[in-house]
Amino acid sequence: MSIDIRNISKRFGNFVALDNINLDIASGELLALLGPSGCGKTTLLRIIAGLETADAGQILFHGEDTTDKHVSERQVGFVFQHYALFRHMTVFENVAFGLRVRPKETRPSETEIKRKVHELLELVQLDWLADRHPAQLSGGQRQRIALARALAVEPKVLLLDEPFGALDTKVRKELRRWLRRLHDEVHLTSIFVTHDQEEALEVADRVVVLNKGHIEQVGTPEEVYDTPASPFVYQFLGDVNLFHSRVHAGWAEVGKGRIAAPEAPDAPAVIYVRPHEIDLSRVASGDALHGEISHIRILGATIRLEVDVEGHDGVEVELSRERYQDGGWQVGETVFLTPRTVQVYSNPQ
Amino acid sequence: MAASLTVNRSQATTETRWVRYALTGLALAFITLFLIVPLIAVFAEALRQGWGLFLAAFTDPDALSAIRLTLITAAIAVPLNLVFGVAAAWTISRFQFRGRSVLTTLIDLPFAVSPVVAGLIYVLLFGAQGWFGPWLAEHDIKIIFAIPGIVLATVFVTFPFIARELIPLMEAQGSDEEQAALVLGASGWQTFWRVTLPNIKWGLLYGVILANARAMGEFGAVSVVSGHIRGMTNTIPLHVEILYNEYNFVGAFACASLLALLALVTLAVKSFIEWRSEKLAEEDRRHATEE
Repeated sequence: MSIDIRNISKRFGNFVALDNINLDIASGELLALLGPSGCGKTTLLRIIAGLETADAGQILFHGEDTTDKHVSERQVGFVFQHYALFRHMTVFENVAFGLRVRPKETRPSETEIKRKVHELLELVQLDWLADRHPAQLSGGQRQRIALARALAVEPKVLLLDEPFGALDTKVRKELRRWLRRLHDEVHLTSIFVTHDQEEALEVADRVVVLNKGHIEQVGTPEEVYDTPASPFVYQFLGDVNLFHSRVHAGWAEVGKGRIAAPEAPDAPAVIYVRPHEIDLSRVASGDALHGEISHIRILGATIRLEVDVEGHDGVEVELSRERYQDGGWQVGETVFLTPRTVQVYSNPQ
Repeated sequence: MAASLTVNRSQATTETRWVRYALTGLALAFITLFLIVPLIAVFAEALRQGWGLFLAAFTDPDALSAIRLTLITAAIAVPLNLVFGVAAAWTISRFQFRGRSVLTTLIDLPFAVSPVVAGLIYVLLFGAQGWFGPWLAEHDIKIIFAIPGIVLATVFVTFPFIARELIPLMEAQGSDEEQAALVLGASGWQTFWRVTLPNIKWGLLYGVILANARAMGEFGAVSVVSGHIRGMTNTIPLHVEILYNEYNFVGAFACASLLALLALVTLAVKSFIEWRSEKLAEEDRRHATEE
């Protein structure tokens, strides 16, 4: 089912949580709402679910206005960050809940409920836990049960609020791959909220980057990562070095070197460079930035060097382990930096 | 190694032996003097002249009437406060609204105010010279010096018990589970019966037991509104006072022992509930760590 979000605004007192949000979500899409905490992503998700009401605007499900529809009639599946499993019920009863509360006319028979619940528990690969209580499960298991419970009512939309936020890194990686596979199997229109850019880029078909209540950019993971629409998106999607300078005739001077900015107008500018897109050399080339290595940090497979460039201390350069060992870099050495790709934003506020 | 470390740490943070014994001894002596000796005295006095007279105290029609009235009062006041307590706790823990903290404070008012004042309030409102007195007299409705007054006063003094027990519990549990139930298609009632109530049942039972103990034992507020009419408007505590003032010590202590027994049963049930909910929590923890 497609979802159209039209002019949605929401305030909490003086705080503007959402400012005139417009967004179309295609049927069967897996969409990520990405942003820092307080950007309004969870509020938007809760408004779509009907757990929160917007001050203005409409949410259309398959072209139909849902503004007056109660949460319980919207046929959405919602997965909470902290699982919200019914603690006094077994796993089986948790999953069966949505079927048992139906009015008599539409409620499935007991054998039908049993079949359905076990089918869902098999789908999330936890059939063997049917008789346990939520407190007896690990975090990853709880979240998968919560997902099975949400799917039991055959929702038309699946909404996930930071579904893996409370889990440790390893379980998180497993679960997001699993979620992607599950989505490819059931093809349910799904929206998930996250503050983890890696998670959004890995799992989603499309990513919506939110900041301070408005949308910064909507696009596929490649689009938002390769061509960020604003400095905020660039910064939010990965580590970044900032060079404050002034563009003159297609060049921005930084210390004794300069960075090419062929398309930028002559104006003050901020130049963004990702740490892994900088080449390091001991030989001075014409434009390279001059610097001195101040720290070397070994982070497993990658090595991060901090280089003090004139006017810009602590420029981060990331190297693979091999390139680091081939170069034999030492703290205190003078080095020359050449950015491979840069993003120039003119006239920063 | 680990064991010796914990021993060292506990020695490092504890007092010397004689300080511990002195403090423990003091606490025990205090409890014996103020709680255990009086409790024994009540039963000793009641049974001083044998079982025959002890039991005779309960077959007296006035005593029977007092017991009946006490049971009726509790049977009305406790369910009323059960409904009110759940509603108030729900409102306060689930909604943000203007005056929320005022309401929270108001619920505690019956704890803060002297029970005598609580009784007087109702006399001022419904007594012969009270605000509604003339109107009530005209319609031949008796509240003061009658059962309705006693029930009202009892409801007032037992007002906070259930709400106070539930508010922190419901705030700690949060409303995620209820929201989950709503999203899954449950109605408000279904959510309450299937999700909210099972989650608060032990806390609720605990509050009911405390409210019940107070409802049966309340003296001050009830004394003001009852009028002490023998066989009509006397509850057990008031009956005890009357017997005592008439130097009928065996009767007074026999009825008092009934209240003391109620207190002991209350404490036993309360401990059982605490023990049970702790055991359930512990079992869950144990299962969780086995994963």
